[in-house]
Parts: sequence; structure tokens; C-alpha cells
Amino acid sequence: MVKLLHTADWQIGKLFGQFEPEDAALLAEARFKTVERIAALATEHKVDLVLVAGDVFDAQGVADKTIHRLFNALQGYAGPWLLIPGNHDAALSESVWTRAARLHAIPANARVCLTPEPVLFEAIGVAVLPAPLTQRNTHTDLTETFAATETPAGLLRVGLAHGSVQGILAEGIDSSNPIAAGRAEQAGLDYLALGDWHGAKQVDARTWYSGTHETDRFKANDSGQALLVELVGPGAPPVVTQLATGQYRWLTETLALQVPSDLELARQRIAGFGPADVVQLNLAGRTDLDGDRRLREAIEQARGKARCLLADLSALRLEPTPEDIDALHADGYLGEVVAELQADQDDPDGVRAEVARDALALLASLLDTQRRNAGAAP
Amino acid sequence: MKLARIRVEQFKQFRQAIEIKHLEPGLNLFTGPNEAGKSTLVSAIRAAFFERHRSGSVDELRPWGDASAAPSVELEFTVGDKTYTLSKSFLSKKRCELTIDAQGKIQRLDGAEAEDHLAELLGFQHAGKGVSKAEHWGIPGLLWIQQGTAHDIRESVGNATDHLRGALNESLGEVASSGGDEVLAKIEAARNELLTPAAGKAKGPYLEAETQVAALTAEVQALDAEIAAYRQKVDALAGLRREHAADLAEQPWLGFRKEQKAAADKLAAIQRVEENLAAEKQRANQIEARLALLRSQLDTHASQEQAVEARNAALEAARQARTAAAGLVEQWTAQRTEAASRYDAARATLRRARQEDTRLSLTRQSNDIQHKIESTAAALSKAEAAQTARLELQRQAAASEIKPADLTTLREQHRQLRELRIQQDASATRLRYSLDAGRDIRIGDEALTGSGERRLIEETGLLLPGLGRLEIAPGGADLSQLRRKQAELADKQAALLQRLGLSDLDAAEARHQTHAQRLAEVASADATLKALAPLGVEALRGELAASQARAGEIGLALGKLPAATEVDEKLPAISVVEAAEEAAAQSLAQIDASLHKEQLAAGNAQAAFEAASRELAAARAVLDAPERAARVAASKRDLVDTRAEQSTLAGRIETLAKQVGEAHPDILRQDVERYGKSAEQHEKRFSERRDTLLRLEVELQAAGARGLEERRAELARDLAQAQRRAEELRRRAAALDHLLKLLREKRRALTRKLQAPLQKHLNRYLQLLFPQASLEIDADLSPGPLTRTRANGTESGDFEALSFGAREQMGVISRLAYADLLREAGRPTLIILDDALVHSDEERLAQMKRVLFDAATRHQILLFSCHPANWRDLGVGARSLPEIRLDSAAGGG
Repeated sequence: MVKLLHTADWQIGKLFGQFEPEDAALLAEARFKTVERIAALATEHKVDLVLVAGDVFDAQGVADKTIHRLFNALQGYAGPWLLIPGNHDAALSESVWTRAARLHAIPANARVCLTPEPVLFEAIGVAVLPAPLTQRNTHTDLTETFAATETPAGLLRVGLAHGSVQGILAEGIDSSNPIAAGRAEQAGLDYLALGDWHGAKQVDARTWYSGTHETDRFKANDSGQALLVELVGPGAPPVVTQLATGQYRWLTETLALQVPSDLELARQRIAGFGPADVVQLNLAGRTDLDGDRRLREAIEQARGKARCLLADLSALRLEPTPEDIDALHADGYLGEVVAELQADQDDPDGVRAEVARDALALLASLLDTQRRNAGAAP
Repeated sequence: MKLARIRVEQFKQFRQAIEIKHLEPGLNLFTGPNEAGKSTLVSAIRAAFFERHRSGSVDELRPWGDASAAPSVELEFTVGDKTYTLSKSFLSKKRCELTIDAQGKIQRLDGAEAEDHLAELLGFQHAGKGVSKAEHWGIPGLLWIQQGTAHDIRESVGNATDHLRGALNESLGEVASSGGDEVLAKIEAARNELLTPAAGKAKGPYLEAETQVAALTAEVQALDAEIAAYRQKVDALAGLRREHAADLAEQPWLGFRKEQKAAADKLAAIQRVEENLAAEKQRANQIEARLALLRSQLDTHASQEQAVEARNAALEAARQARTAAAGLVEQWTAQRTEAASRYDAARATLRRARQEDTRLSLTRQSNDIQHKIESTAAALSKAEAAQTARLELQRQAAASEIKPADLTTLREQHRQLRELRIQQDASATRLRYSLDAGRDIRIGDEALTGSGERRLIEETGLLLPGLGRLEIAPGGADLSQLRRKQAELADKQAALLQRLGLSDLDAAEARHQTHAQRLAEVASADATLKALAPLGVEALRGELAASQARAGEIGLALGKLPAATEVDEKLPAISVVEAAEEAAAQSLAQIDASLHKEQLAAGNAQAAFEAASRELAAARAVLDAPERAARVAASKRDLVDTRAEQSTLAGRIETLAKQVGEAHPDILRQDVERYGKSAEQHEKRFSERRDTLLRLEVELQAAGARGLEERRAELARDLAQAQRRAEELRRRAAALDHLLKLLREKRRALTRKLQAPLQKHLNRYLQLLFPQASLEIDADLSPGPLTRTRANGTESGDFEALSFGAREQMGVISRLAYADLLREAGRPTLIILDDALVHSDEERLAQMKRVLFDAATRHQILLFSCHPANWRDLGVGARSLPEIRLDSAAGGG
């Protein structure tokens, strides 16, 4: 039985500008760490070969240091690594791969396929048919030649490619680098390891996307895994096990506050985020000043716990109650200002509404601070 | 508040006490000229309230020069139903007493307590230290208008703002906003941290964030451009590598090189043919040259023969010419002989003619000279006689000559002697005598008789016969001197006369006459001689000798001439003979010339003949040379042979040229070049591409090492963060700005609402002054812009922009409005106008009087003026300060 570890889309060198600098740095760092974890898993599961199905690097122009770091991260597994370029790191005439070779960064046990010639691992009984991208985007199916490519009898035929399987992914999305559906069957492959899709996905009995090893976006489902593929023998269906590799969970949370009790639920939900969570929090509905304050408090607290927390409160309407206003001593013309801002939140002009909301929150917080200071004073 | 009585003593102008009683509850007009004490009275009221009685800084309240004075003020006034009596004195006697009578309930306050009570009541403050200043004056500062300050209201209002606000709030009966202004200030501060106050432009951290976004955007764009360039290079590299590999495999230049070589070989072959052709052509040229040479040789032979013939003809011609010339010479020689004899004859005739002519001439000359000799000899003898006579005369003249100087001397001596005698006469002693007849006397030897007179010039002895002797010595000293002079002179004269050989002066004179006579005669003789011999006798003598010599010569010449013949005597005139000789000479000369010419021609003809003979001989010698015939034959043979060779060669050349023409060597040459260049270009392109590849690889390696895309990702990350921050700040700034605007707007609306009562009061007065005008009140409750309706439309202007008079009027009515407001709020009001409204014209002043009268129905007004006439129609009686002072003095006794 042959054991393969199938991974892809490491996208080394990717940065996360949407987050605060220190958070972003940690997320970028995690992409290396998780490669190290894959190496450890490969060792742990005693796999025969690790396949990396493209987009190892996020871009051709990464720093030399980044190249060295990536290949150093492979140390944890001494067995063979087989990598192919993807659309982000295509095997162009001058590419991150030629640089890596020049830098002597590629360890002896790692092999990068820059041409579509089969790679034979006779010792473990596997022939790998790679379909490396040699252009950034192509509209020809590079796996087309798999069927005609002879491999020594008795060796398992494993395809390694990067692109979109036709008819499986949503129409119109990234239609370049196509891969015909049913390629594994048609080319007599025992397994076809694919990259490009960031969530783990089974395409057919012998064809899988492993997804990225470390989640890098909110919409990617089922990412942060590697696939342990067990091949009993030629022709036998592969046994695929999903291994969690990712360090961080990326969550999109939308909380609507409609009734007063929603506030507490929301607070609990927010309080539930942990250090492995990268969260996009969207708040909608309406709340009074107190509710707003408490929500913001909860969010600030959660920022201290979660890895990253992006909060969007733009859809949350502030509705100060008469008690609020009393409590804030928003009397006289201040009261009038508060009332006008409250009304303006519903202005059909989105910008005006936003300004009104912000202004109201500002005023409320200022008054609140004043009140507290006054209260605190002896 | 109503003042009822004022008493002032030892206060500035008022050294004596002055008391004003029975003040009216409404208008009170005090008049008086300058220095009457109006302002002193006002300052007394002010001091009573504003200054602490203990103050050490109120020295100016003292009357001038009175150091021990205790300025004191006593006031009696009512506020509401309470009657206050304030008695206050400063400096020497520091005291303050306040009695409050509230419906019989008496309260007394002393010192600072009394002062603080009043400050609270009237709405002012005391200075912490020193003299009370405007900032302490509060409501009274506003309502008590000091001289010349009615127009300046803003500061006074500022000092009373709190009281006015209080009054407004009280009148409105509600609190505007407890912390509104504080919030507004905070919002404004927060906003102004992000936006510029006026233009609302980004500043501070907001501006920094935006600047950073812009900078990062620019950096990202720059990197994008670099990355794009990098990618293009990568693509170019791939293309170049493909082409390079294809070229390496194909090596297209090899084919071109082969083609080039084939063409070059063909070209070389045809070039050999071309060389052959050229050689044959050269040979043809040589044959051509040889032919020409042969032809010219034959020509030479022919011409030699022709030359002999020509020379023969020439010789014959020369011979004929020589014969003709000799004939001519002969003719001319005969002619010449004849002419020569003619000439000789003419010459002989001329000689004889000339000889006769000479003879004639000499004979005539000889005759002439003989005549001359005779006349000259006669003239000479006469001249010699005249000359002798003249010499005699000249001798006589010389003998009778007396020198003019001697003559003059003689004349002078004579004159002097005469004068001396006269003088002697004059000085002489006169001896007159009259002697008796027959008697005599003797002087010396002389006897005197009869009567007479004698002059005695020297001692004279007078012998009186018979009587003795008388010695008479003439008197006078000079007689003897004269006598001596006379003697000397007489001696001199005698000596001169002796030298001259003369007896006396008369003789000298006569001789002088004779000499003159003789000189005249000499002159006459000279004239005679001159006529006879103008050039002198010797010249005449010379002339005679010359003539004689000439006569001799002529005689000789005549003697030499041959004797004349008869023929000679018949000869024609000499001129005719000369002309004939001349003509003969000319004829001979002409004939000589012609002969000479013909002789020359004959000489030439002879020379030509000789030359022609020689040339003929030479030409014939050539023809007669022994090897000539053989050479001529050889030349003819050669010519034939060479012509045959030429024709053969022409055939060969034609064949070769055709061969070359068909091969197109120029096209072949082009082929060689074309294939060569093609190969070269391919090789060059190949090597250049190889160089480009190397360069590109190096460039890309270098660029790759820079990690452009990772750097871009970092920048994009930073940019996203910066944009987020800028957006946050933008939102915050927008919210703050909006909030600030809203707060201000609401506050302004509220202020307007709050100020309504003040506005109401103000309008009441304003309508009296400017119908249909409106005066805005700004946030500080100060008068703002005034809007008036005029003939040409509505006009609005800031308070400060109004004329001084108008500002003064507005200042007064604003204060009256404040007073109304304060009164409604239950505050005491007292209005003091010290010489206010002096800048108002009559019309405005009339309106202001209406205003004041109206205000006086609600407030007590103290009006001080030095122009009583201006206020006559105020409706109250004026109180004259001087009179009050008089009354007070009388009352105070």
C-alpha cells in the first residue's frame, strides 16, 4: 500500500492587509508554520511521498529569504516531496523556481516539476504525471497528455495538476487553466491530486482538491487541511483521509439585534471567539445607547482574545431611549441635536445616514464620558 | 433703583459740601458749563459703589492740594420698597455705613459687609487690589455711561454678560442646556484636531493618514510598474529562448554561406574569362598602335619625295625673283648718277653766288667804318680842349677855397669882439671935456682939445698940462676881464687870419665868394665835356682805335677774295640759287633711298635663292640615301602582315565578350553579397539575441532577488491599513464636523429664542430712532449688524462700521434695552448719561429725547450736559450745578 500526502495552495508570501499589522504578521507566519506541521504529519503518518499541487508561492517575486524559509520548512519530512508550479508561481522562463535553484534552496529530497515529464518512484511503486503551468494562465488543458503518457507497468499512476475542473466549479469563475472532468478515469490514473481550489473538495472517486493548508480568506470552506491518500494497488479506489493542518479558523459572523434579548446573545457569541479565530463580525439591527456601549465593550474584549476581529457596525442603528437622553443630560439644544441625528440615521442618502450614526455615537460617548467623570467626581 | 439725595464733600472739585435733594424718579437733567462739577458728581456716585472705603489707591478723589481731606459721599436711594442710606468716606477718614429701611425695619451694615451687599444688589464686583476697573463694573458699568464712551459698548456688555444672561434665563424661566457649551467646545476641539477651522481641510493625524495613503499608493503604483516591466521581461526571455533554440537547431546562416560560396565560384570562373578578354583587348590595342606606326612610316617616305619636288619649284621661283631685283638696281643706279651731277652743278653756282655776296657786303662795311673814324677823331680833339679848360678852372677853385668851418669861426670871433667892445663901451668911464680954446690936455701922447668925450677903459694918465697929471682908473671889475678876453680873442683871430693868409674877415668873405664862382664854372665845363664825350674822353679814344682796327680787318678780307669775273656779276639772286641747290639735293636723296631699297631686295632675293638651293640639295640627299628603298619595302610588308593579325584577334575578342555577357558577372557579384549579408545578419541576430538573453537573465536574477511582489504585497498591506485609518479618521472628522455644525445651528436658534426679550426691548427704541430698522444681537449679547431700509433699498452694516454719532445713539438705546431687560428680571437699574449724545444732529437728538423720555417712565435717568439749550424740550426742568453749589454753600453756612 502506498501512502501519499496531498496538499496545495500554500501561497507563501501572502500578506493580510485587512488586519492590524501584528495580526497580519502572525497570519503570514502561520503559512510557514503549517508547512512545518505538514512535514510533521507526513513523518507521523509515514507517508511515501508528499505531493504539492501548485501555488506554493503567492507570487514569483518573493524575497530570497522567503524562498529559503519555505524550503527549510520541509525539513520535518525526509521522504520525497514533489512540487509543481501553479498559476501564482508558474514555471516561466525566469520564475521563483529558477531563483530557488540558483539559490540552492531546494533540498535534495524535494523535486520541482517544471516540465510535464513523468516522475518515477519505482522504489515505492508510483509514477507521477505532473502538469506544471508554464504560463500564468492557459486555456489548454495540460492534463490532456496524461492518457497518452506511458508509465512502467506495475507502477501506480498519480496525476498532479493545478487548475479548474470543468463543470464542477461555479460557472465563470477562473475559467483559465481548465482540467477536463473525468480526467482520472480517462487517463487511467489511480489518483489525481489537484490544487487551485482553497477548500478541500472531492471531485470524483479518484480526484481531489486538497485545499490550502492554512485558511487565507473568509469564504473558503473546508480549508486548512491536507489529504492522506492511501492506494492499495493499481485500479483500487483511493482511501482519502482529511487531516486538519490549519492553525486559524476564519469565521464570518453576522448578528442582527432585533429584540432586547438579542443583545445578550450577541455578547455571548462575541465572547466565545478564541485565539485561533479570525473573525469578520457584522452587526445589524437596532440598539439603544447602552446596548451600543455594551456591544462595543464586548467587541473590544473579544479583540483581546481572538486572533483577529474585524467588526462592521455600519448596519447597526442607534436608538437612544428617552432614559438614555435623560441619563446623558442631553438637555436643551443638545437634546435637539440627538433627536435630529437619530432621525437622520434613516436618511435614504447612505452617506448622510452614516455620518449621522457616527455623529450620534460620538456625541453619546462624549456625553457618557462626561457623565461618568461627573459621577466619579466627589 | 431711585436715587433721592446725593451729598458730596471734600471730593475733587467739591472742597465744600454739595447736596442735591429731591431727585425725580424719572428724568433728571443737570447742566452747567465745563468744570462745573458734573463729572465729579458722577465719579462720586461711582466711587461710592465701586471703590472700597479702605482702598489706598483712590488719592485722586481728594481735592487738589488738600492732603488731609477725607472725600465723602452720602447717597439715599430706594430699591423696591427698601430705602438705602449709604455714607462713605475715603482716605483720611475711612468709613462706610449702610442703613437699610425695609418698611420701618432698619438694618445697618458697616464697612466691607455694606460694600459687598451693594455689589450683590447692583451687580458689580470690587477690585481685589487697587482701583476698581471696567472689568469689575458689571451692570452699572453698562448703564452708567461715562463721558465720551456711549459708542463703545462691546466691552461694557462683556463685563455684564453674566448678569444679562441671568436676566434672560430668568425671564425665559428655563435652562438652555446644562452642559451644551462644554460639549460644543469639546466637539469643536476634537474636530479642529482633524480639520482646519475655516476651510475644513484635513490636518493633523487625518492629514498624516491621507498623506501616507497617497505616498503608499504612489509606491505601490511604482512597484506595479516595475513588476509589469519584470513580467514583460520574463515573457521576452521565454520568447528569446525559443528563438535561440530554434536558431541553434536550424543554423539558417549555413545555407546562405553555401549559396554564397557557389556564387563566388561561378564568379571566379567568369572573372578568368574576363581577364583573358582583357589581355586580348590589350593585344588588339598594341596591333592598332603598330599599324599606325607603319602607316606613318610610309607617309614619311612619301612626304620626302614630295619635299624634293617642292624645293625644286621654290628654287626656280627664287631665281626669278633675284633676276627681277637685279634689273631694278641697275635702273636706279643710272638715275642716281644723273642726279649727282645735277647736284654738283647747283652747288658750284651757289658757291660763286655767295662769294659775290660777301664781297659786296665787305665793301659797304669798309666805307661805313671810314666815316666813323673821321667823326670820332673830330669829337676827340674838341673834348681834349674842353678837358684842359676844366682842369684850369678846377685848379683855380681849389686855390680860392676856404673851409666853411674856418669862415664860420672867423665870423663868430668877429661877432664876439664886437660884443666885447660894446660891453667895454658900456662900462667905460666917460670923460667928457670941454676945454678952453687953446688949451689942451694930454692923454698919453694924444692931446685933446676943444670939447669931446672919451671913454676910458683902463687906467689912463691924463696930463693936464700945467697942472699935473691926473690918473683916472675906470671903476668896475670886469673892465679888465673884458679887456683880457678881447685881447685873447683878438690874438686867436689874428692867428687864424695868419694861417689863412688873410687880412681880415672881409677878405675871407671875398675869397669865399670867389671860390663859389669858380665851382660854378667847373660845373659848366663838365657839362660841355659830357656833351662832347658822353663816355669820357678815353672811351672816345678807344672807339676811334676800334674803328681803325676794324677798317684794317675788312681791308684784309677784301684782299683775300678772288678777283671778280664778269660771269659772276650776272649771277641770279642768292635765294634762287639756294632753292635750286636744295631741290637737287632732295632729288638725289630720294633716288639714293630707292636705290638702297632695291639693293636690299636684291640681296634678299639672292639669300633666298641660296637657301632654296641648299634645301633642295638636302632633300635630294635624303632621297638619295642608300638604305631607303629597302626600308620602304619592309614597311609595306609589315603593314600587310599586321592587318591580318588584327582581323584574327577581333574574332577572338568577340567570342570572349559574348561568353562574359551571358554569364552576368555583376549579378553574380550581387548574389555573393546578398548571401553573405543574409548569413551575416542571421549570425549577428543570433549573437545579439544570445547577448540579450544573458543580459536579461542577469537583470531578471537581480530583479528577482529584490522580491518585488512580496514587497508589493507588504506595501499593499500597509496601504490597506493606512487607508483604513484614513477612512476611520475621515468618518470621525465628518461626524465631528456634522455634529459641530448641528450643535452650533441648534445653539444659535436657541440663542435667538433666548434673546427675544432683549430684542423686543431693543426694537421698541430702534423703531423710534430708525423706523423699520432691525439690529441683530450677537452671541455675546452685543449689538450686531444694523439693517435699515432706505430709499435705495435695504442696507446692512456691522455696528463698528456705523458713524460715531450713530454708534453713540445705538450705544444708548442698547443700554436702555439692557436696562429694561434687567428691570424685568428684578434688578435695580439706574441710568447715568454724562454728556452723552453730543455727536447727534438735531433730528436724531429729537428722536433720542423721545427714547429717553420713554425710558424714564421705567428707569431713573441722570443726564449731565453742558448744553442746556439742547435739552430744553426734554420735559423736565434743568438743575444748574453752579446754583446747587451756591445753595449748598449757603445752606451749609
